[in-house]
Amino acid sequence: MKTVALIGQPNCGKSTLFNQIAGYKSLAANFPGATVTYTKGTTYIGNELVEVIDLPGTYSLSWYDDAEKETVKALFSMDIDVIVNIVDASMLIRSIELTLELMALGKPMVVALNMIDEALKKGICIDVAKLQEVLGVKVVPIIAKKGKGIKELLASILKAEKPRKRCVYTRKTEEAIDRLVGCIREVQIQTRWPLKLMAIKAIEGFEPCVEEIRRTPCKGVLSQIRKELDNGMVIINERHALCMNIFEQVCRLKKVKKRRFDIDDLLMHPVFGYVAMLLIFMAIFYAVFRGGVPIENLVVNVFDAVDKYLATVVSGKLAFAIVKGAVDGVAAAMGIALPYLVPFLFAMSLLEDIGYLPRIAYLMDSTMHRMGVHGTSVISFVAGYGCSVPAVMATRILKSRKEKYITALLASMVPCSARTTVIMGLAGYFLGYGYVVFLYALNLLVILITGVILKRLLPGVSPEMIIDIPPYRLPTLKSLLLKTWQKVKDFVYLAIPMLIVGSVVLTLINYFRFDAYINAVFAPFLSGILGLPASVGVVLIFGILKKELTLIMLYQALGVAGIAAVGNVLTHQQILTFTVFVMFYIPCIATIAAINKEVGARVSTLIVIATLFIATLLALFTRVVF
Amino acid sequence: MRLTEAETEKRYRVVSIVGGCHARDRLLKLGLIPGVIVELKRKAPMRGPFMINVNGSDIVIGRGIASKIEVESV
Repeated sequence: MKTVALIGQPNCGKSTLFNQIAGYKSLAANFPGATVTYTKGTTYIGNELVEVIDLPGTYSLSWYDDAEKETVKALFSMDIDVIVNIVDASMLIRSIELTLELMALGKPMVVALNMIDEALKKGICIDVAKLQEVLGVKVVPIIAKKGKGIKELLASILKAEKPRKRCVYTRKTEEAIDRLVGCIREVQIQTRWPLKLMAIKAIEGFEPCVEEIRRTPCKGVLSQIRKELDNGMVIINERHALCMNIFEQVCRLKKVKKRRFDIDDLLMHPVFGYVAMLLIFMAIFYAVFRGGVPIENLVVNVFDAVDKYLATVVSGKLAFAIVKGAVDGVAAAMGIALPYLVPFLFAMSLLEDIGYLPRIAYLMDSTMHRMGVHGTSVISFVAGYGCSVPAVMATRILKSRKEKYITALLASMVPCSARTTVIMGLAGYFLGYGYVVFLYALNLLVILITGVILKRLLPGVSPEMIIDIPPYRLPTLKSLLLKTWQKVKDFVYLAIPMLIVGSVVLTLINYFRFDAYINAVFAPFLSGILGLPASVGVVLIFGILKKELTLIMLYQALGVAGIAAVGNVLTHQQILTFTVFVMFYIPCIATIAAINKEVGARVSTLIVIATLFIATLLALFTRVVF
Repeated sequence: MRLTEAETEKRYRVVSIVGGCHARDRLLKLGLIPGVIVELKRKAPMRGPFMINVNGSDIVIGRGIASKIEVESV
């Protein structure tokens, strides 16, 4: 089976093309790399089955962040038969830089010239035949979004040939490069890089390549050549001139009327930009929560009926307990996923496809900076108010590990919709809504302080933000649904099994009356440190399964008739202490699973410990101060 | 002067990218090469990032990176 890799710069329409090629007929699956996932799918071209790999976008083979490193690693380590380089026709100069680098790999290759319609709108008319001749690589014009040119592209993938030309620099430069290549060939350097590309990258000063060569006797040759070529600037300038030259050869430019009104003047405005952002998110939250509540009630009712039916069918108390546990687990998952997660993730995909997310990153960068992360992390925080699981999963797009750790921890501390129920039901109901506002403000403050501390505590630097601001684009429903499903799928595969197993275990605890033991174990901590009755111990354990259970189970555990009666047993101080503790303590089991997947078991353990510590500290503080 | 001192909606020529900048390679790849004309389009408030236009595409760069880019007025 042939393996085809799709490579292109970010926002070039790579995933759209992937969905066009492999979307329907295949089972596309996300394969987690070390930090980023790439997507694989299979499809038929004619009668031949090929494997298509969608690699994360990269500007260059010298990576700047984890996602790009993953692409380069995959490119060098996998057996790739054909490279399909997707080029954004409206940004030809910049895109050809990557094309030239890919050509140096010497693999069969096709250039998919995407978004020719958008380029035309910008007044750029590209002579495809001429571009093909200049590059020495097959070029196919396509409009991936509309599915145009896909057939021709697929046909040329099967016939793909190795590039006929290599990137040609001036003779003096080529000689210098050859000298270094000769040297590293002689010392038989162990590397997956093609030697010439490695030599060029090292001369340009790309650290990983420089380091490789520094360890060999070629160290001297490298520094000599770097001096000759002005630290590689000569190569960079020559290549850029080449790209400009190609652009001038193949493009005719037409004057287009400039639009009078640029919507970014509003959406990226230093004042109105923030107002607009706030309004957009308030609208999304309002829609999701308002629309979600009746659906959640429906789900709860359906599963209540199922529970009742099961009670009549399943004989044996233990068997019933296990079955009921499993059903409740499914109910818990459905109760989150259907009403809140799906619409929320759809809204997120919509913002992503329109191209609004990078603009939020721009607006929020300076605030996020103080917490050791950059603008891009803001997406996780926003998602956190809906559900922590997609919030943690959104850390996937972050650049450095340090940023991922900080964001995963902080985003899991944002009160999700389940915790909002608890805050409203306890602090709001018994103490007044002023306390709810206070708790949310406290939450933001704690997140900010934790971020500031982590920024100083964790080693490593987070590379500063360099992002593209793509033009606004009208999304297609198909790609929106695919994107939403890909995000929901993670939740389905990750969270639902955890919820079911957790639910069964907890039902068994109840069945065997272990709750008394659990309460006894936690009693010293709960009544000694937090001043809460020991009977809430089991409630907090259940809360790890699903946070709103801490509200629902509280009155049962306290032995009162209903939630309204909780105030008879607990003092206001105890209620506030309990609410603060629930707001911050251990993420729910589904979130832990997500953190595990995104940043690893070690970090998720640390996050569990850290949140428990923070919750205890704040609850203790509440008890003493209030 | 440095890009951080530049004014919005004006065009500048890139003179050099000062060494020690982790992002140098990436900036060069994005076409921020000495001699190229860039337009500073927006600055985010509160010492936020900068949005510039290079070769017809908009990119946002952090302030720290912008402070490493030497430019001159055109």
